[in-house]
Amino acid sequence: MRILLDGFTKSFGPMTVIDKMTLEIRDGEMLALLGPSGCGKSTTLFAICGIHKISAGRILFGDRDVTNVASQQRNVGVVFQSYALYPHMTVAENIAFPLEVKKLKAAEIKRQVDQMAELVHIEELMKRRPAELSGGQQQRVALARALVRKPDVLLLDEPLANLDSKLRLEMRSEIRRLQLATGITAILVTHDQVEAMSMCDRIAIMNAGEIVQIATPGEMYRNPRTEFVAGFLGNPPIAFLHGVATSGGFASVGGEAIALPASVPLPPPGSKLTLGIRPEHFGPTGNIPIRGRISFIETQGRENLYDVTLPSGSMLRSIQPLRGDVALNEEIEWSIAGDRILVFDEHGTRL
Amino acid sequence: MNSSKKLGLLLITPAAIVVVMLFLVPVVLTAVFAFTNMSTSTGISGGAYQISPNALQELRDHYDMPSVAERLSQSGFAVDEPGLAALGKAGIDADIVTELRGHIGETFAARRDAERAIRNLNHRPSLREVKQISDQFNRSIMNARYDSKAALLAAVASVMPNLSGAEHQAIIAASYTGWTWTTGNFRRMASIPGTQRSLVNTMVYVAFTLTLFNIGFAMVLAITTFYMPSRAAGFFRGVWLLPRISPPVIYVLLWKWLAWDTGFLSVFLGRFGIHSRNWMLDSGTNAWVFVVLINGFVGASMGMLIFSSALQAIPRPLLYASEVDGASRWQQIWHIIMPQLRWPILFVTCYQTLSLLTSFDLILLSTNGGPGGSTEVWALATYHTALNNYAGNLEYGYGAAMALVLVVVGVFLSLAYLRLFNYRDLVAKPLIEH
Ligand SMILES: Nc1ncnc2c1ncn2[C@@H]1O[C@H](COP(=O)(O)OP(=O)(O)O)[C@@H](O)[C@H]1O
Ligand SMILES: [Mg+2]
Repeated sequence: MRILLDGFTKSFGPMTVIDKMTLEIRDGEMLALLGPSGCGKSTTLFAICGIHKISAGRILFGDRDVTNVASQQRNVGVVFQSYALYPHMTVAENIAFPLEVKKLKAAEIKRQVDQMAELVHIEELMKRRPAELSGGQQQRVALARALVRKPDVLLLDEPLANLDSKLRLEMRSEIRRLQLATGITAILVTHDQVEAMSMCDRIAIMNAGEIVQIATPGEMYRNPRTEFVAGFLGNPPIAFLHGVATSGGFASVGGEAIALPASVPLPPPGSKLTLGIRPEHFGPTGNIPIRGRISFIETQGRENLYDVTLPSGSMLRSIQPLRGDVALNEEIEWSIAGDRILVFDEHGTRL
Repeated sequence: MNSSKKLGLLLITPAAIVVVMLFLVPVVLTAVFAFTNMSTSTGISGGAYQISPNALQELRDHYDMPSVAERLSQSGFAVDEPGLAALGKAGIDADIVTELRGHIGETFAARRDAERAIRNLNHRPSLREVKQISDQFNRSIMNARYDSKAALLAAVASVMPNLSGAEHQAIIAASYTGWTWTTGNFRRMASIPGTQRSLVNTMVYVAFTLTLFNIGFAMVLAITTFYMPSRAAGFFRGVWLLPRISPPVIYVLLWKWLAWDTGFLSVFLGRFGIHSRNWMLDSGTNAWVFVVLINGFVGASMGMLIFSSALQAIPRPLLYASEVDGASRWQQIWHIIMPQLRWPILFVTCYQTLSLLTSFDLILLSTNGGPGGSTEVWALATYHTALNNYAGNLEYGYGAAMALVLVVVGVFLSLAYLRLFNYRDLVAKPLIEH
């Protein structure tokens, strides 16, 4: 079901956390709300499921205005960061709870609970209590409980944050599998860009209560709208060079001159500029040679990550297939792929 | 024993002493006194021997010795050889003694008769001498006190020389005025109707105060204040703490002002033409309503505080989850909140049952068990029996026996509660598997 936040505003007392946000989640898509901790992701989620009353604006589920509808009547499924399983109930009772409160017939409840258990692969855990489950199992139970009432929208608040890295990989694909299998509209709240990029159809990236950009993961990576977005996406992260515009190019604070492609609309010479250069766009191949000293090498297995300190003291990153011919503190001359350079003005807006 | 163990023992010694002195010793003493017949009349130290009407009754009924009792009850004066010898020693004129020897073997039933005969002797003894002489011939032992068994037996032998050893023992036992060991307290408790009445009263008192107020009302207060804005919640909790922190005498006095025949209720209802009366002591039912209210308003605060803090400790996401799962307020309270309060409810129930069973201060101050004993609970009856009653005969032994019953009931109930709430289940360690 399509979800629309229209001019959504949320204040806690005098502090406005979210100011006039507008966000549309399309029917059947999985959207990531990505942003640093404290930017208002959970607040947005809680507004959608009705736990928080919103201060202004509207929330629409399909064509239905649910702004003043209690969370009990909204038909949303939520997986909380802590899973919030009811500790005194067994797994089966936890999953059955949303149906029990609707007073469905026992046989019908059992049928739906069993179906759900099968979907999330926890048939053999039904008699256990949450305290007797591992993190991944609790996660599956929480998913089953959220999905069992066939909600209009599934909300996931940092669902993987409490899992170790192996389980995190497993549950990442598992959640996506469930979402695709049920075709449900879903919102995933996360601060982890890898999760957002790997699990979701689209990403809405948030900063300080505002949505900065909404796009598919690939589009957002290639074509970030602001310096913040470029810095938030990508692992290892993008490197920035600060400096000023020259005619037809860029001069860093330390004096490196870099010619920029003609396609970039440059501001008048002397204006402040920031260049963003991703690690994969700096290396042995490229068209803008630049000298520097290797100040750090991080082996990632298949690839190596090199930190290169330029003479001015600025730093670039380069990621390359394993090679044994460069060593720490060695002077090198590598090149930047000029057409991939991201150029931002002094406000951080992409040019 | 290694040094750390010694240190441990040393450290718990003060606590152990306090536990023993304040808790164990009273219980043990209660148990000991419970098997005595101590009372104001027996005293708590040793007693003496006295052939009292009670003792004669006991000889007749309990030892089946009616003839012995009959003989012991007769007062009597006898002119005999030991009496004559004693007269000589007491410095009575030898002529009088000689003349009396002529009357040897004569007996008189009453002092008056004996003294008339002595006055009529030829030697005309003075009034003082008549008294001295009659004392020496006094062979009656009724109501005389003897400090030892030997003195008692000597006196008995002077009137009934040929009694058997068993009969001697019976007389000793029947005439002893001090306390003795007995299991009679419990037999008496089982047989008198007052026992059953106090028992029923206690059950009414504990059941109503506990369920309606200490748990029920406390829960209502905790849950309603939980859903209130925090400032209003704090205010309401503060109001309900007032009865607990006000001095009991003043607190009960306020209730009495409310209930007296010239008090608030009477004056207020008088406006609607209802006759003024003492609403508290007017009838047994009214007295119960007041007793439960008075105790309940004090008792609810503890449950309220404990339940409130337990509610605060429930993770917020659990409540959020139940809301988005579609649970109404009631369903949330019943399915999510109440199960989380199992431990606090167990604790408050146990603690308050025991404290209600043993507490009687507010009842003592308000109704003092009245009207007509209808609010006399077990603990108050114990107090009245052992420490304070109108008759003035304080029965320490019987009171201790009643107190011992309370102790036993308390221990028994604690164990039962632990079972009921499945204590082991609550403290069991969960199996965690990764
Ligand atoms: N109940 C609340 N009362 C006051 N401030 C809150 C409350 N909940 C969240 N906030 C504030 O709102 C901001 C956004 O919080 P949140 O939505 O939880 O961030 P996140 O993106 O990490 O989920 C934070 O600055 C937080 O301090
Ligand atoms: Mg959050």
